[in-house]
Amino acid sequence: MSLSDLLKLILDLLFSPWLFVPLIFPGLITVFLLILFIIWFERKIAAKVQLRYGPLYVLKQLGGAIQLVADLLRYLFAEPIVPEQTDKLAFVLGPIFLFAVSYIPSITIPVSSSFYAIRSDIGLLISLGLLTFGPAIVLVIGWASNNKFSLIGGLREGYLTMAYEIPLFISALSMAALYGTMDLVEMVEAQSGWTWGIILNPLAAITFLILSFMSTSRFPFEIVEAESEIVMGPFTEYSGILYGLTMGASYVKFYVLCLLFSIMFLGGWQPVPSFLSWSPVLPGVILLIKSLVIMVFGVFLRSVYPRYRIDQALKMGWHMILPLSIGSVFLSLGLIVLGVVP
Amino acid sequence: MSEERTIELLIGPQHPSSGHMRLYAEVDGDIVVRLKPNIGYVHRTVEKLAETKKYIQIIPLVERPSLADAANHNLGYVLALEKLLGVEAPPRAQYLRTILAEMNRIHSHFYGLGIHGIMLGSSTVFMWGFADREIMIEMAQRLTGARLTYSYIIPGGVRRDLPLGFEEEMEKALRYIERRLEDYGKIFLRNPVTRARLEGVGVLKKEDAIRLGIVGPNLRASGVPYDVRKVQPYCAYPEIEFDVAVREEGDSMARVLVRVEEIRQSMRIIRQALKKIPDGPILAENYLKMIPPKWKEFMEKKGRVKFPAIMVNLRPPKGEAFSRVEAARGELVYYIISDGGTTPYRFRMVTPSFRNVVLFEHLIRECRVADIPAIYGSLDYFPPEADR
Amino acid sequence: MKRGSTPIGRLINHLEAIETGIKYLFIPRMTVKYPEEIMELPEGYRGMIKYKKELCISCSLCAQICPANAMKMYLDESELKKEGGQAKPKRRPGINYTRCIFCGFCVDICPTGALEHVGIHDVAFDSFEAQLFKPKDFEEGPPKVEFERPPKRLRPKMDPKRGIVYEPAD
Repeated sequence: MSLSDLLKLILDLLFSPWLFVPLIFPGLITVFLLILFIIWFERKIAAKVQLRYGPLYVLKQLGGAIQLVADLLRYLFAEPIVPEQTDKLAFVLGPIFLFAVSYIPSITIPVSSSFYAIRSDIGLLISLGLLTFGPAIVLVIGWASNNKFSLIGGLREGYLTMAYEIPLFISALSMAALYGTMDLVEMVEAQSGWTWGIILNPLAAITFLILSFMSTSRFPFEIVEAESEIVMGPFTEYSGILYGLTMGASYVKFYVLCLLFSIMFLGGWQPVPSFLSWSPVLPGVILLIKSLVIMVFGVFLRSVYPRYRIDQALKMGWHMILPLSIGSVFLSLGLIVLGVVP
Repeated sequence: MSEERTIELLIGPQHPSSGHMRLYAEVDGDIVVRLKPNIGYVHRTVEKLAETKKYIQIIPLVERPSLADAANHNLGYVLALEKLLGVEAPPRAQYLRTILAEMNRIHSHFYGLGIHGIMLGSSTVFMWGFADREIMIEMAQRLTGARLTYSYIIPGGVRRDLPLGFEEEMEKALRYIERRLEDYGKIFLRNPVTRARLEGVGVLKKEDAIRLGIVGPNLRASGVPYDVRKVQPYCAYPEIEFDVAVREEGDSMARVLVRVEEIRQSMRIIRQALKKIPDGPILAENYLKMIPPKWKEFMEKKGRVKFPAIMVNLRPPKGEAFSRVEAARGELVYYIISDGGTTPYRFRMVTPSFRNVVLFEHLIRECRVADIPAIYGSLDYFPPEADR
Repeated sequence: MKRGSTPIGRLINHLEAIETGIKYLFIPRMTVKYPEEIMELPEGYRGMIKYKKELCISCSLCAQICPANAMKMYLDESELKKEGGQAKPKRRPGINYTRCIFCGFCVDICPTGALEHVGIHDVAFDSFEAQLFKPKDFEEGPPKVEFERPPKRLRPKMDPKRGIVYEPAD
């Protein structure tokens, strides 16, 4: 085998869907690059609203764009201190599992009609189900840190799961009922033309958006890591690269939920002109841009809202959002009965 | 197996939002059963230090405990000292003192608003509060020469006169602050999240406020219209009209709204004072006589005052004096006993934050953990001022 | 304030808050990029102090009034060597900048005007001893600063729409 044959084999292997999607897009490398971008962007947008500059000096011409690379290097070289009285195995493995579990659901996301790693009849259920592992690991982290503030923070994450988990599933399943399938590829193909999910069932879109803010500590629901009450919540005792992982984990979960939002409500990779549909590049870029818009909005809310109290968030989840989600199910059923189904 | 339901949380000095004090909380789940404040971390023995310094040297000393509100502390001390000495400042100096005191009230309230915002989680209000404070600090810098520790008020008058162009710039600054208060209302005061956090939280009833001896905006938010500037007016306040901001509910939201209303009233006072200010000297007559005549031209041209040499060794006659001032956080009391020497025999300073400490234990009871920063910020408690 | 009690009122308050946030995305910033841009201090700023030896009459009032005990009177060595100790030697003030609080009492009390404020406040020293100015250093005043890249000087002005506006001070 000559060198060019070997190179061709490797490139084929790399670009095959079941390796490309988990590793490159929308998988690991995109996740890292996106965290580097979105945290910087959050700080810049909050700074612009607050009439100041934010990160500026790391690469001055671009406005401090690679500030997060500098931060990541600092975390890599800082000493990860493991206190003596903690449960050491759980303490060290916790953030690693948290990051991994937040990123794994991205392998179920299809990039275009023919480019996907996993396709199954219950794709939506798989990705949402994989997302539910996170809070359990946060509880373990909160207990293993041997710190009262971490304990309170971990318990808050457990409580909050009660509030957002059920309405999230109900809103997602109402869209599944509307499209008649739980397969993510078929959901996108059902939104051809301009009948996007958000126009058909805006109730489900709004509740899914608010619930994705609630589940990933976006303001006004930044309750788990409430800095002025419980010093960083379950992540108080972490330093070094473990702290970097915990900070990134919630953004990764938010990214996956935004991808799901764009697939279910914003038409996924539509509208793709038919002469370009053989290549996965353009649909992938369109999907990424749509989810970036939602992420930017979610991150902008940091500069507008304070944070809710835990019992107010729970009350909102049960008294207001759960009835709205159930209402969205009825809306979907009504649309099916009236024959507006695409 | 012991029946312990509560855990002890030490919200100690190394906490992102505890200030320079420790809050010892007993928490049962999410409900705070009891909270005791533990103050004294910033005690710097100001009262004892004052017994070793001469009277004029106590002026910078007395400003340092409450840095956010230095001019009112300075004013209170000098009013007590003037009673001992038996001098009175001329009318122009009284108006200048009033203007500086009200400017100080405005930027102290912005400080309190900003700290409260960051405790609730809104970093926007924090940054805006400190940015708007810069306007007033810049104007104070033009008037006195320093940004925060003015040392501007001396027994007998003030040290400098209004610079050129002060009135126009002040008018522009006040108009800007009025526009900004609208934006604060939209993004913070009427924000449903803020209202959910602050309304009905930490309610202080009128009888309790009077019984516990609370002072300042905390008292006025519970329905008691007590303001030292109206009860026992000093400086130029008898000739200026303004309203006392009062609200009836007594919860945290009422305290924040009383402070915002006080900012508006302070702006009204500054505008009236700048219009009504009379011409004349800025230092009392018996001190002006002691300055050599060659300095009179310099003083008129530059608008500054040269201290007469007697200021170094002021010797008030034997006696005691007592003065009350409305600082930004409440009523401030000074009591000086002089025995005829150059240093006071006894110097007593009762700060408003010290009188409000009892509210920590009284209000933060049977409420949730997340209410601790909400109530703490609304009390506008400044630990160095309470510890002196 | 009564608008927030109904759900519709709350929704309007939410939208108003978000709209204010978006409005502020387009308002220019208010900060100064120190140290590439410096603010010009107004005339009469209480900064570091310069001492004029020829006007001083050695009354030592400045050292007596200093609240932080930063001014100290030193015996003038050149006169000691000259006179041989016959007449009373003069004392000159020296300042300890680690203690000075820039209150300006010494400048205001000097009966001959020998002390004067210079409009500089942000000078860095290499060692602790460099901040203890003897009378000889005190005459020279605060150290002169040399810049590799001279900073832009800005002057603050009030503006009713934007608060403080910084204009180039040239």
